[in-house]
Amino acid sequence: MKGSVPPFLTIAEAGRLIAAKRLSPVELVKELLARIETVDPRLNAFLLVTERQALAEARTAERAVMAGSRAPLLGIPLAYKDIYETAGVRTTAHSRILADNVPKQDAETVRRLHAEGVVMLGKLATHEFAIGGPAFDLPWPPARNPWDTRRFTGGSSSGSGAAVAAGMALGALGSDTGGSIRLPAAYCGIAGIKPTPGLVSRRGVIPLAPSLDTAGPMAWTAQDCAILLDALAGHDPLDPASVAVPKVSYAGAIAAPVKGLRVGLLRRFYEHDVPASTEMLQMVNRAVATLKGLGCRVDDATLPAVQEYNAVGRVIISSEAYALHEATLKQRLSDYSRAFRVRVLAGALVRAADYIAAQRRRSDLIAITAQAFEKFDVLIAVPTAGAAPMLTEQRPDDGFSRPLLTTVANVAAIPSMVVCGGFTTAGLPLGLEIMGPAWADATVLRVGHQFEQAAGTRERRPEL
Amino acid sequence: MPASPAMSAPPISPGEMQLLLSRAGLVLNPGQVADLVLAWRQVAGLIASIPHDRPLADDMAYAFHLAPPVGAAATSPAMAAAKRQQPIARPKAAARPKAAVRPNAKARAKRKPAAPRAPTALQAKAKAQATPKAAAKRKAAKPVGRKTARPRR
Repeated sequence: MKGSVPPFLTIAEAGRLIAAKRLSPVELVKELLARIETVDPRLNAFLLVTERQALAEARTAERAVMAGSRAPLLGIPLAYKDIYETAGVRTTAHSRILADNVPKQDAETVRRLHAEGVVMLGKLATHEFAIGGPAFDLPWPPARNPWDTRRFTGGSSSGSGAAVAAGMALGALGSDTGGSIRLPAAYCGIAGIKPTPGLVSRRGVIPLAPSLDTAGPMAWTAQDCAILLDALAGHDPLDPASVAVPKVSYAGAIAAPVKGLRVGLLRRFYEHDVPASTEMLQMVNRAVATLKGLGCRVDDATLPAVQEYNAVGRVIISSEAYALHEATLKQRLSDYSRAFRVRVLAGALVRAADYIAAQRRRSDLIAITAQAFEKFDVLIAVPTAGAAPMLTEQRPDDGFSRPLLTTVANVAAIPSMVVCGGFTTAGLPLGLEIMGPAWADATVLRVGHQFEQAAGTRERRPEL
Repeated sequence: MPASPAMSAPPISPGEMQLLLSRAGLVLNPGQVADLVLAWRQVAGLIASIPHDRPLADDMAYAFHLAPPVGAAATSPAMAAAKRQQPIARPKAAARPKAAVRPNAKARAKRKPAAPRAPTALQAKAKAQATPKAAAKRKAAKPVGRKTARPRR
């Protein structure tokens, strides 16, 4: 197979070219490995590059294509946040604690992707155990934002955001407990979806807080996320939280027009609860105009304050994360990063009655949020108050002291995606968050895709 | 909107913190205690903002889906999972349905894993990769090139 490799490709584009035998999976992987070698020393997105394995898998995919196989992900190079277990390949959770951990099996999500012919490029940086970061006291430095390497990627799927935005991988796996897929998607100017809990298996993904953990895809476009979700979604009887729901084609569903869709604008979230920057407010106004232009009906919507969702989320996360790490913390406390200790140790002091109160309040918030979707098909908000801050401005107690807009969807157990909504005058991306009722992942992706198409925010790439 | 956590958090004395730490079985150095005091003050504020006074009759947040009795139809994913994991032919268990109904860690551990669906060609490839032998092969196949298969700094 011959054919030059374009500088940047989406999964959809690469899949079409590979299926038409106009793009060699081997050449594509070689191109990306070369890009990783050139660019990643400035971004620290990869903890491990599995070059030889990637080339071997690409050759297998190429043989399959030449033999007539067709699949949307056949020969597509992806990379995984380093909390996804990979058989025979080190999985560290970006922590000294698991520095030598080599799993025997793939995570169910990884298995599903490889069954579709995906090529693994390597393992990506995260915050330590998906919470302790960005940290400079770990064996690997934190990932940096491709749009400005002095800036924060967002986390905890930090390497996933940086690798996709920089064009080092066509897509990535992330995980989201309080916003860890959507925050890096926002700051790095890509798309990422936190699916409805139970849609994607979490078996083999190192947990942070099992009541809130969700696994999901990150990619340059909403369409690519839909293609990945087609492979990832599905019942896993060995994940107790997995739910058997009818199979849906997410990639097929996104093409339908959004005319007539009822869009609720969570204005109070970003005007009052977590006040957004002027440029962010301007971006939302433009996004609303774009959605109206697509035929959506946009009205104001209200939910309980962001702080209420955050209080519940942080108490649950601290308690569950501490419970999971208690034994190791007592033996190897100094091996964890300071950021991890600050965010998790307080969980040791939370009383059982307080944890149960948080879970009970969560039930209320799930019901209240579900009620809002009686009037609206999707709700729109912003995932962050502004563009990516400087990496050095991040504090270990962030998350307690500053509420996260994204935690609303985790606590409410609804699907939520972030797409690139626009850019600041300095050229930094700004995210737009789209939430739907439970199991309306296809609608969320459809709105994200149609918005991207109409807003034209997918043309610009970071200059590296 | 609830008050800011830092504003509503009650102060905690060194003695109180030491008591909480000893109850939790944690031994921290002074710097770690200072970090924890800062974090705990904020978490305590978050806890204070969550309503605790609920009617006693309110449902608890958790639901447990126990495996159904033998022969009953599975009605939830957890039930389906439990049902799939039941042994295919175990005459003794069949003769003693009560023992099979009771969720028992030891009994579960002995159960065979769920039978896989018929794999496609690509799935067969992935399955082959997931076997210990293939895993060992993948590990052995790890590259030794300059920038690969080693921690990045």
